[in-house]
Amino acid sequence: MQEFDVLVIGGGASGLRAAISAKRAGASVGLISKVHPLRTNSAIAQGGLNAPLAKDDSPDSFAADTFLAGDELCDRDVVRAFTQEASKEVIWLERMGVPFNRDKEGRLDLRGFGSNSRNRTCYADDRTGYIVLQVLHEQFQREQIPSFEEWFVTSLVIEGGICVGAIALGLRNGKLDSFSARSIILASGGFTRFYLPSTASLGTTGDGQSLAYEAGARLMDMEMIQFHPLVFPKKQGLLITEAALNAGALIVNHKGESITDLKGMPRHKICLSIHHAMQNGGGGVSLDLRPIGKEKLRGYFPQTQELLRTVAGLDITKDLVPIRPLAHRPIGGIETNAAGETSVPGLFAVGECACNGLNGAGRLAGNTLTEAVVFGRRAGETAAKHATAGPKKSFPAAKVAEEEKQLARLFSGESSKDSLAKIHSELGHLMNEKVGLIRSGTGLQEALGQIQSLKDRYSRLRVKNPSRIYNYELTSYLELGSMLTLAEVVVLAAGARTESRGAHQRADFAERDDTNWKSHTLVSLVGGSGQLQKKPVAAG
Amino acid sequence: MEITFKVYRKDPEKDGKPGRSNYTLELAEDATVLDALLKIRDESDSTLSFRGCCGRGYCGECMMRVNGSARLACTAKVPDYTKKGPEISLDPLRNVPVIKDLVFDWDAFMWNKIKEVKPWLEPESSPVNGENLASEAEMQDLRKVMSCFYCGMCDEGCTVLPVDFKFLGPAALTKAYRLAFDPRNKDSREQVKIVEKPKGIWDCVHCYEADEHCPRGIEPTKRIVALRDRAFNSGITHEAVARHHASFASSVKESGWLDEGRLAVESEGLTNVKGLMKLLPTAAKALARGKAPIPYMHSKRPDADKIKKIFEKAEQEEK
Amino acid sequence: MKYAFYPGCVSRGGCPELYPSAVKVAEKLGIELDELKSVGCTGAGVLPQNIADPINARTFAKAEQLGLPIMTICSTCTGVMAQANYRLKEDPIYREKVNKEFLADEGLEYKGTTEVKHLLWVLFEDYGIERLQSLIQRPLKGLKVSPFYGCYLRRPPEAITPTKELNRRKSYLDELISILGAEMADISGKGKCCGFPILSANEENSLAMVAKHTGESKEKGADFMVTPCPLCHLNLDGNQSRAEAQTGKEIDLPILHLPQFVGLALGFDTNEMNLKRHIVSTTDVESKVSMMS
Repeated sequence: MQEFDVLVIGGGASGLRAAISAKRAGASVGLISKVHPLRTNSAIAQGGLNAPLAKDDSPDSFAADTFLAGDELCDRDVVRAFTQEASKEVIWLERMGVPFNRDKEGRLDLRGFGSNSRNRTCYADDRTGYIVLQVLHEQFQREQIPSFEEWFVTSLVIEGGICVGAIALGLRNGKLDSFSARSIILASGGFTRFYLPSTASLGTTGDGQSLAYEAGARLMDMEMIQFHPLVFPKKQGLLITEAALNAGALIVNHKGESITDLKGMPRHKICLSIHHAMQNGGGGVSLDLRPIGKEKLRGYFPQTQELLRTVAGLDITKDLVPIRPLAHRPIGGIETNAAGETSVPGLFAVGECACNGLNGAGRLAGNTLTEAVVFGRRAGETAAKHATAGPKKSFPAAKVAEEEKQLARLFSGESSKDSLAKIHSELGHLMNEKVGLIRSGTGLQEALGQIQSLKDRYSRLRVKNPSRIYNYELTSYLELGSMLTLAEVVVLAAGARTESRGAHQRADFAERDDTNWKSHTLVSLVGGSGQLQKKPVAAG
Repeated sequence: MEITFKVYRKDPEKDGKPGRSNYTLELAEDATVLDALLKIRDESDSTLSFRGCCGRGYCGECMMRVNGSARLACTAKVPDYTKKGPEISLDPLRNVPVIKDLVFDWDAFMWNKIKEVKPWLEPESSPVNGENLASEAEMQDLRKVMSCFYCGMCDEGCTVLPVDFKFLGPAALTKAYRLAFDPRNKDSREQVKIVEKPKGIWDCVHCYEADEHCPRGIEPTKRIVALRDRAFNSGITHEAVARHHASFASSVKESGWLDEGRLAVESEGLTNVKGLMKLLPTAAKALARGKAPIPYMHSKRPDADKIKKIFEKAEQEEK
Repeated sequence: MKYAFYPGCVSRGGCPELYPSAVKVAEKLGIELDELKSVGCTGAGVLPQNIADPINARTFAKAEQLGLPIMTICSTCTGVMAQANYRLKEDPIYREKVNKEFLADEGLEYKGTTEVKHLLWVLFEDYGIERLQSLIQRPLKGLKVSPFYGCYLRRPPEAITPTKELNRRKSYLDELISILGAEMADISGKGKCCGFPILSANEENSLAMVAKHTGESKEKGADFMVTPCPLCHLNLDGNQSRAEAQTGKEIDLPILHLPQFVGLALGFDTNEMNLKRHIVSTTDVESKVSMMS
């Protein structure tokens, strides 16, 4: 058994930041990640980090832009904390070694991005996420924190309503081990892999949210899913940073006509514009990066240039890039407060898997990475404090044996002739069709029924590969389970919100309803099914 | 299109001996090798182990050999590999410990070596508010080096690793460069010291295979050469290498060209009897065939004084 | 065909058989050599760039004064010079700095027009293979030969093989073997490192590389290995017995220099090509060759 004060589950930017700050606050820390930290999705974040560093900028202006992008669903106290701490965090990153782009005076260069009203986005070429991730991993290694890489968490352990740890399967040795901790921080990323196609990676399957949900935590604003407007539509979609639009790229319809000036619009509006252009124009839409110029493309968008060449066979200095809005990342997730605490004592959440009310109904472009480090630091500090306060709950000894039995059941018995990929594919297709950019009551009802039947089919599958060592059939099986659980929650939440706001658009409720819906949706697992609640937006 | 994949297998839970499994399947025209592997695992053989993560060429995880050449499976388009026939062989990388099937030991191959170079910055603890001021040129170079996504191609192409797996390798040494050349790193000198120990920069043969293999033009060999130059110029050098370099430099400085006899002797060290004895059999044979340049009996080139001036000027500039 | 000839240090030091055989072969082929006598060592990748680049810039300037391209007979010289030349050509500000600080007080200036080519490249790119073929007097039929290029003749790409066409430089030696009538005993290490650069730092690895490449060549049935680099020769030939001692396996593979190989095909005998100078005995090769003419 492993014992720590603070256990972090997930090795991306927010998890690493939380682990570092917990360690520096004096706690003993352990980190579990199902892939190596440098392979996590933080690596694909491109555009940059927002911070009100410019002389003509301020936390208030930053907050105003955040509220606007969030379509008035953001919690004020969280936004205030965030906009006040952003600058400090970004400077910290620079001092730890992030080689941000500089202006002529040698200061951090700030560029325009999305619907930010001022230039406030620090960037490192178009690989900002990856470079920030590397520096965080450097500092993580400096702290000598034990790191359990390629370990898959199979359950959270709850004793008397308190989270006391987790059980995980080591892919390399095939063994289950228990991880006892006083504070457990989930930083496990998004869940949009249940949209096919989407911009998600193979493992972006919402395991953390699913575990938290089953442990009794509430999932907030799950209907809010950010679609990215500029995605080259492969099965694993390749996104192009919106900074390209700010730099002069144009979106054109199949006749070559440029779609109305989309620069500076919030993401969901750009997505809808493109969506309508595709519906009405009767043809595809493309991104024209050529106006940016060869020099600037090479200098500022090297990652974009490389990936579109190797994956799509396109030369962005000559070719148009076919694009479509695709599901990108969740805005909703495990409900937390500004300190990262969930409703389950001992359980924390941060980053993509969490929802603390910062983003409301739409994330301001450039806020995600800043969010990961600001709240990562907070969650780590809070978790460390919590770990040293109060008596320790004991980790029930029998849990691993119980988990072994549960796991064994997945291997025993006759498997139906169905396939994981088929179920996943059908799920992915129905989510894109019925829970896409624009939803409707009837569509969502149908979706619910379809998901239920997929769940039945799933329950009749068994894992055929008997090994426990690098058994990716087993992990795929568990991941599909998470996706089915969360898909249902998303549909329930989408069905509940009878209005259109930000990323959630209803054909049957096309207007924003501030009277009834200036609230968050909450879904919790009660008696085996999802129960809905509403929580008013914090006015603070 | 119908394609047969011949995939390397190894089962640590059975006899651990390498084998091969063949799978024939129907694939779409735009399928990648990773698509094929996922299909095999889902429809034919769920015991096949392989890694895949981002699926679109940026994370580095799915590196393997496709028809013998190392590359990412998720960007390897199947039609590109079937020009000579509808068969594709898949193997783990060469010269790495294999755990199971296509899953090889990334820790031994890469992550542990990076840990060895002390891969983090020690920030200056100055009371300055705000960011360190820095030039865009320096930051740009660091960003170039940090675009390394640990795909392992440089280590795969390395000449030394097949002969000596303990060599740190181009990927880890490039990481060391990133930290040694970051002007904000208080410990940059320490960084150089770490990699000049055995199995580090002096074990590199600077054959430029790494530069040829790197898909991002990071030029790992040139980074290693830069580390060596820095080590040398700051007086941090492996003893034998220091003797070798000092002797080389001395003879060129004094005569304009290399006195190999002197180099052989001084590299071992004039008082290193054991080392010098080691050279005797070869030296004797060479002498017998008129092939041994007698140390110190070495003529000066015309214009040797001009070469010496260049040395003096360059050495002064370094200061 | 006239070249500013840069023979390098080793071809008259540790491998004194190389210089005269190269000169004889050039003469037979009708390639005029104007030797650059008052220039310095390239640095061989040992001298740091801040010292080596000015020394090489000076060599280039001297060749430029003669209005001739440079011809080398050593892979290492070629590679080091090509890299230095690439830097000086690509960056006019750097070139200006080097000129001003190091060459100006001698009244020299490098304008960036010099080309550097190894004899092997000269044969294929300037001289012409048909012309070479017409001069072959002793086709080396029945001999099995392994190529060993020497790293610096193949990499880094921007200095050595900057265009698709010049990528062919990676197979010139392979092609030459069949042009001269011999059969190739191909080895996986033909483009890899011989180990010479790490002889001081890590002798064990250096000798292991010698054993690996020569061992493979021997297994493939080669009569000898041919290399365009005298530094490779020093390790593969000079240290072969030490490599044998380290691995406990006999190798006994003669190593020939490129000009010696070409020279034998042009009709020179083994004495004229100074084969007796080598450390690993070449008597087998000598007898096979003498049975040919």
